[in-house]
Amino acid sequence: MKQVFRLFLNSYRLFWNDKVSVLLTFIVPLVLMTIFGSIFGGSGSGPNGIRLAVLNQSSAPVAKSIESSLDTMKSFQIIKSFKNDSGKVIIFDTLSIQDYVRTGNTSAALVLPPDAYADTSMGLYVKFYYDPKNDIEMQTTQGLIQQVVFSQFPSIIAQSGLRQSEQFLGMQSGGTFNRSMASLIHKYFGVDTNLVLHPKLSNMKITNSDSTKSSFDFFKNVVRIENQQLVGKEVTNPWATRSVGGWAMTFLLFTLTASSSSLFEDRKSGVLLRLLTSPVSRVHILWSKYLFNMSLGIIQLLFMFLSGWFMFQIDIFSNFFNLMLIIIAASTACTAFGMLLAAFSQTRQQAQGLGTLFILSMSAIGGAWFPTNFMPATIQFFSKLTVVYWSMDGFLEVLWRGVGLVSILPHLGILFGMGTIINFISVRRFKKGHIFD
Amino acid sequence: MVMSMINIQQITKKYATIVALDAVTLEVRQQEFFGLLGPNGAGKTTLMNLLVGYLNPNSGTITIDGDKVTQDSLEIRKKIGFVPQSLALYDELTAQENLEVFGQMFDIPRKLLKKRIEDQLHAVELYDRRKDKVKTFSGGMKRRLNIIASLLHDPKVLLCDEPTVGVDPQSRNAIFEFLTSLNKQGKTIIYTTHYMEEAERLCSRIGIIDHGKIIALGSTDTLLEQLAYEETITIHKNPMTVKNQKGFEKFGELLEEDDYFELKPTDRFLLSKFFADLEKQGIQYSWVELHRPTLEALFLQLTGRRLRD
Repeated sequence: MKQVFRLFLNSYRLFWNDKVSVLLTFIVPLVLMTIFGSIFGGSGSGPNGIRLAVLNQSSAPVAKSIESSLDTMKSFQIIKSFKNDSGKVIIFDTLSIQDYVRTGNTSAALVLPPDAYADTSMGLYVKFYYDPKNDIEMQTTQGLIQQVVFSQFPSIIAQSGLRQSEQFLGMQSGGTFNRSMASLIHKYFGVDTNLVLHPKLSNMKITNSDSTKSSFDFFKNVVRIENQQLVGKEVTNPWATRSVGGWAMTFLLFTLTASSSSLFEDRKSGVLLRLLTSPVSRVHILWSKYLFNMSLGIIQLLFMFLSGWFMFQIDIFSNFFNLMLIIIAASTACTAFGMLLAAFSQTRQQAQGLGTLFILSMSAIGGAWFPTNFMPATIQFFSKLTVVYWSMDGFLEVLWRGVGLVSILPHLGILFGMGTIINFISVRRFKKGHIFD
Repeated sequence: MVMSMINIQQITKKYATIVALDAVTLEVRQQEFFGLLGPNGAGKTTLMNLLVGYLNPNSGTITIDGDKVTQDSLEIRKKIGFVPQSLALYDELTAQENLEVFGQMFDIPRKLLKKRIEDQLHAVELYDRRKDKVKTFSGGMKRRLNIIASLLHDPKVLLCDEPTVGVDPQSRNAIFEFLTSLNKQGKTIIYTTHYMEEAERLCSRIGIIDHGKIIALGSTDTLLEQLAYEETITIHKNPMTVKNQKGFEKFGELLEEDDYFELKPTDRFLLSKFFADLEKQGIQYSWVELHRPTLEALFLQLTGRRLRD
């Protein structure tokens, strides 16, 4: 038993001395738990700052009320105007708000038309324009909008009922009907009866009538949301098209981190020393590694997209040139990231441990697994600093919206910029680091 | 007049607080087989890494065949072949593929490289295994391949950093013969080792290095002349000799090993008196051997430590 205990203690000693194992055992889960926790509960409280364009053309109080509710929700960042080419701020109209969605400035727009709620209308009528490039985000947005709209339900039902009863039952019978409705609404929605009742009818004397015999199936018509998908209708396999970029990025980062840290193997085996004692400089070695990793990344991404085309009919060929540009930019930035890890690590194990931590974190906060809008504002800020975010967004722009070169220039600029900056840091670190000593 | 091939002047190399080489000055002549003997951590590998331009010194200069060696001087590396201590080979590639990879770095024309690869593989008797992956090779075979990978560009100077570590005696002999033949063909060789037998067997001149300094330099004979005695006496251990241990100590310094005592006689030692004493104690002459001192003894005399310590 003593021997078992000694070996048991020794196992802990070995484990504790292996910092990579400690990192993978405690730090990686902790970081991921923090990210997941902030999204699905704990420190966060649902989505945050989803961009929603809103146009309210109605003068009805209920429309105003919906607009005000949306304004105060932290889940949404409400946009009511845009800047035109000359930089002038323009309030949305029916067409410009749709263009705003089509051009990818936002994924959703809510329009409350002039006839959203009229005295003569049956109920509330809104239009919802959307681009489902991110399915989870869109479902959440729709759910939140429905929640806001249906929060007006008691008032809409009541006022709609008043008008209907007025129209069909006459003023006298309508009064009886409306009082019954008001008490029902009070019972089930907790709304003050006096607020529900129409002023014209609230003071009417209640008389017995056969109004209860008049049954109208108006509930289903009380709120009507007209959904219209503006982007991606022609996409063959929406799910696969949306997902392929995220998964491709995660695997690409793993591949490139492993490949970059092969420098440690070369050092350990002595091959690095042999190469550096031939007419080969450190810069030659770093460049060769960089070019190899970058080309490997391009090949891997291309392979994954071709597989997506073959297995899931993802349309990669109609915008192939721009897809290739994003692939090259993403691979450039990811390769730089892998080199950075190698530059700052002492051993291959350390590079891979750190790589696992950063890759999973970057994939999580970069939006590879779930929408960034689900994260707290601070994490959303950091997500925009990740290679994953810009690469995925670039892939979506190209594959989902089929945009041209001009539209992806920001993505290309940011990814190549990230690659350049990270490479600069890596090279400086390699010069000071231990890998060539 | 013998020309100088390698000239090391006042080389100092520091790692953080450790001085790995302390103002080392050394000259190696053309076609010389020079041995650098010293214990682990003495500074041998650091000196080799400086000679090949892998490291830059903190101060001092190195020239090989008249050209200054620095980290940035890539052309001079074509004059140098370096056999690292580790097996610097790609395990997943075949022997031939390894040689092709390393040979290509020297801009050798394709046909010439192919011929040299074949010649070198024949020379170390690995030609038949050229298409096998290195990971299937024995330690000795890998060592031989490790050496010829450094010879494809036909360097003037060959730097061997403990090239026989972990090799069986048979392969070691094969490597010695191969290196000797290279030296005879005109190559200047620097060979580092902590085995005095290797240095004595191979090298025409030896530098003994310790704590980053060359503490002795010369041919084996010249070096051994520095010893206070000309012979060492080995006394095999048995109950009789162990019983007489004190008696031996009056003739010199007595070192106890596992199976024997080694006596390093004093200046006043007289062999006749020693044998007379043995006879008196009843110790047989066959238990005693006289032999020439080794470089180990010199190292011990100079540093108070053994080479393998």
